Amino acid sequence: MHAPQGKPHEAGQYEIRLKGHLASRWSDWFDGLTLTRESDGTTLIQGPVVDQAALHGLLQKARDTGLPLVSVTPVEPDRPARPTTNP
Amino acid sequence: MPAPLLETKLYLPRPRAGLVPRPRLSETLDAGAAAKLLLVSAPAGFGKTTLLAEWLAAGPAAPADERSAAWLSLDRGDNDPASFWTYLIAALRTMAPGVGENELALLASPQPPAIDLVLTTMLNDLGATGNDIVLVLDDYHLIDAREVQDAMAFLLDHMPPRLHLVIASRADPAVPLARMRARGQLVEIRAAELRFTPDEVAAYLNEVMGLQLTAQDVAALEARTEGWIAALQLAALSMQGRDDVAGFIAGFTGDDRYIVDYLAEEVLQRQPAPVRNFLLQTALLGRLSGPLCDAVTGTGGGKAMLEALDRGNLFVVPLDDRRQWYRYHHLFADVLRARLSDESPDLVQVLHRRASDWYAENGEPAEAIEHAMAGGHLESAADLVELALPALARDRQEARLRGWLELLPDELIAVRPVLSNGFAGALLSTGVVEGVERHLRDAERWLAGPVETREGTDPHTKQMVVVDDEEFRRLPAGVAVHRAGLALVLGDPSATVAHAQRALGLLEEDHDLGRGAATALIGLASWSSGDLEAAREAYEMCLGSMQRAGHLADVLGCSIALADMQITQGQLRDAMRTYEQALQLNHGGPVLRGTADMYVGMSTLHRERNDLDAARQFLVRSEELGEHTGLPQNHYRWRVAMASLRQAEGDVGEAVDLLEEAERTYVGDFSPNVRPVPAVRARAWIAQGRVDDALEWACAQGLSVEDDLSYLREYEHVTLARALLARYQVERSLDQATELLERLLRAADAGHRTGTVIEILVLQALAVRLRGDLPAALAPLERALGLAEPEGYVRMFVDEAAQMKSLLQAAAEHGIAPEYVGRLLAAFGTPANSKPAGQGLVDPLSQRELDVLRLLGTDLGGPEIAAELIVSLNTVRTHTKNIYAKLGVNNRRAAVRRGEELDLMSRARDRRTGRAAVHEE
Repeated sequence: MHAPQGKPHEAGQYEIRLKGHLASRWSDWFDGLTLTRESDGTTLIQGPVVDQAALHGLLQKARDTGLPLVSVTPVEPDRPARPTTNP
Repeated sequence: MPAPLLETKLYLPRPRAGLVPRPRLSETLDAGAAAKLLLVSAPAGFGKTTLLAEWLAAGPAAPADERSAAWLSLDRGDNDPASFWTYLIAALRTMAPGVGENELALLASPQPPAIDLVLTTMLNDLGATGNDIVLVLDDYHLIDAREVQDAMAFLLDHMPPRLHLVIASRADPAVPLARMRARGQLVEIRAAELRFTPDEVAAYLNEVMGLQLTAQDVAALEARTEGWIAALQLAALSMQGRDDVAGFIAGFTGDDRYIVDYLAEEVLQRQPAPVRNFLLQTALLGRLSGPLCDAVTGTGGGKAMLEALDRGNLFVVPLDDRRQWYRYHHLFADVLRARLSDESPDLVQVLHRRASDWYAENGEPAEAIEHAMAGGHLESAADLVELALPALARDRQEARLRGWLELLPDELIAVRPVLSNGFAGALLSTGVVEGVERHLRDAERWLAGPVETREGTDPHTKQMVVVDDEEFRRLPAGVAVHRAGLALVLGDPSATVAHAQRALGLLEEDHDLGRGAATALIGLASWSSGDLEAAREAYEMCLGSMQRAGHLADVLGCSIALADMQITQGQLRDAMRTYEQALQLNHGGPVLRGTADMYVGMSTLHRERNDLDAARQFLVRSEELGEHTGLPQNHYRWRVAMASLRQAEGDVGEAVDLLEEAERTYVGDFSPNVRPVPAVRARAWIAQGRVDDALEWACAQGLSVEDDLSYLREYEHVTLARALLARYQVERSLDQATELLERLLRAADAGHRTGTVIEILVLQALAVRLRGDLPAALAPLERALGLAEPEGYVRMFVDEAAQMKSLLQAAAEHGIAPEYVGRLLAAFGTPANSKPAGQGLVDPLSQRELDVLRLLGTDLGGPEIAAELIVSLNTVRTHTKNIYAKLGVNNRRAAVRRGEELDLMSRARDRRTGRAAVHEE
């Protein structure tokens, strides 16, 4: 009851970047999001996330792989997704 | 939580043979065992569990540091606070069997008390046990419920020094780590410490796994895995028996592949097909046993397979010493599951379905439901939930039930009348009104007969689904009980009674729980609408049903309500019997919740009989039992009872303080609030002489003498009448009070509320006496005495102090109830009353007036008194005028004499500081 409710404007595209290459078969594990292996040795997980709770669920799954988390970025819907720079 | 505990969650893992000794960590671990909290925080596969298991098995470095170790492996289900604390206490009890029995019973009771109350006593008990206890909470990252996290912070703040907590987690727990770090209460082992050092990597690969790798190979593996033991283990398994080890190492150290995934793949490829299939097909099981695996894989040999995996170090962890239950290493299981859902998504559903069936057949409905949900078999999950309903209701697992039902689609529930009604019940008992009406309508729709397909609705006529025929047969009664509950919450007592009566007509004679619920609802609704007779009758029936149903905590809760009504009806002996019978339910086992409330009730009755010592003893006993043995209302009720005892003992000031505390801690329940704490406090104010404050309270409550009278506000109206009487000395008019009392008496008489009738008669007698008509005052007094004598009332009269004393003396002279009046008059003389409450005045002196009166007894003149009190001369004159009026005198000397008669002069001195009082004695 006190859990934050997912508001429509929280839904959107997100990019989660992990250090290490994940095979595409992990796509299903990450709720069907797209996995892209990038040349810098990271994996980009991209796709629609319905709300903050779903995003945190994805982050927990990422945590449970043991792969280091590099970045989490919301992607503006009106702008094309572009690779984020590493911090 | 009455659901059976899984022993495997409390199993302290045994270390495997052939582990790499890690002395550099032992020292930190031992320091952690001496600290409040040892936090082992690192990602999956860093060997947290293994490290702790090995360390605990090795025992302390110094024999003097003897400690016992308790273990709890958490899972997602432990986000339910009742489950978490039940398991935590059960884990502690493996090492300290004497503690926590009461607490476990409390957690299983309806509306368990706040967890800090439950924990406080247990922590005290733990502090008294001999050994240091190390409690490990493994997989703490699975806990994200705020309620559990908050209570954990409380636990950490209140842990006895002998208890040491170890948290193993993939994420830092939400407890105040920075503060604990600063205070030196925290020892941490993090990923940096857990990573295997180059020496440890070499020891593991070459000594433990017998691989005979070159220093260069070892260095390459160490660099690539960064000392991550899960990856090293997989690498070692992949290299065992391989010819081209160097080539294999070179093959994966040069790229960025997810190393665990890559190596697990290698390991899987090297397994024979049956092993490989077994691993994949059983990966989605949280726990593994031979029979369960057989059911899920559809083949035999599961038990032998698990034992072989255990021997071959293939990522299974035993969960007991009998080799019955295992689990996979979490990281490995995740890799397997990811592969499975990628390779054969359809198989995932089939496997969940089989697991669900096996659990259903083997009496673990919760696991069966979870697997059905996970496999997307929602209809099957709905069926299983329906079958689990009676047990869930019995075990008070409504919150869990609600959680499942909320995951099921509406259209699935709407065609299941038993489930719809269960949903309504789960919502009501978890305090939610929204949706109850809709679910009840769904259930009723099917009870009304075949559903006509109307235009505009779904053209496919839906079929009703019932899996529990027995529950369907009982459904009309069940729906009626929930309808009654809904009506009560919505504030409609007559509908509540109507629905509950209908339920009673439908329920079988021996359905004790149903009858208990229905009669309790009738009792509450009747009480709320002022029909005490009907309420009492309903509560008496409810007590019988609840007792037969074994719901003892409910029996105690209902007993309080029943005794309250009996007291209002002037049946003090019956009320005492109600409390005593409820207390007799306690035999041997854990103290039932509500026991502390019984003692408070008994204290109130003893106080009325003027047995103040007994009244005090019962309050002390109630307090000694601990707050967790009281219902949530006991905290304020205890304070109200203590206040009235202190007032009887002459300390009105403390009584007011206690009442203010009671008001702050007041919590309501479904019972009507017929003696509001602020009204009780207004009465204490009157006794203190703060009549204007009391009248102001009445005004703020919207009380007036012209009000229509109702039972629910009767106590407040009688309080108003008391305030009006007390104002007599100033106003010299009794008309308002007299008229109000007259109307109150008629109403109380009509409602057979004899307890209230006696009080009103007493006030009428006092009012008539104030008018100076002593013979007329004896009439109401005589009636009051006649009603009060059989029940042994004393304080009802004695609390009215000197005014009543002279009335009773007059009654004695007229030969009214001579024996009883004699006893009452003797009660005025008991030592406890040497300082009569309320100073023996209808309108007692205020503290300031007492100060002035004391100075009037000296040689000081008016201006000097003003200087002494640091007020103006005018103020002193006003005070003096009031004092004369209240004491019924018209000069200084008479005031002092009257003050001495009433023992007010010493009272004035006592109220000064102790030192001053000593000097003046």
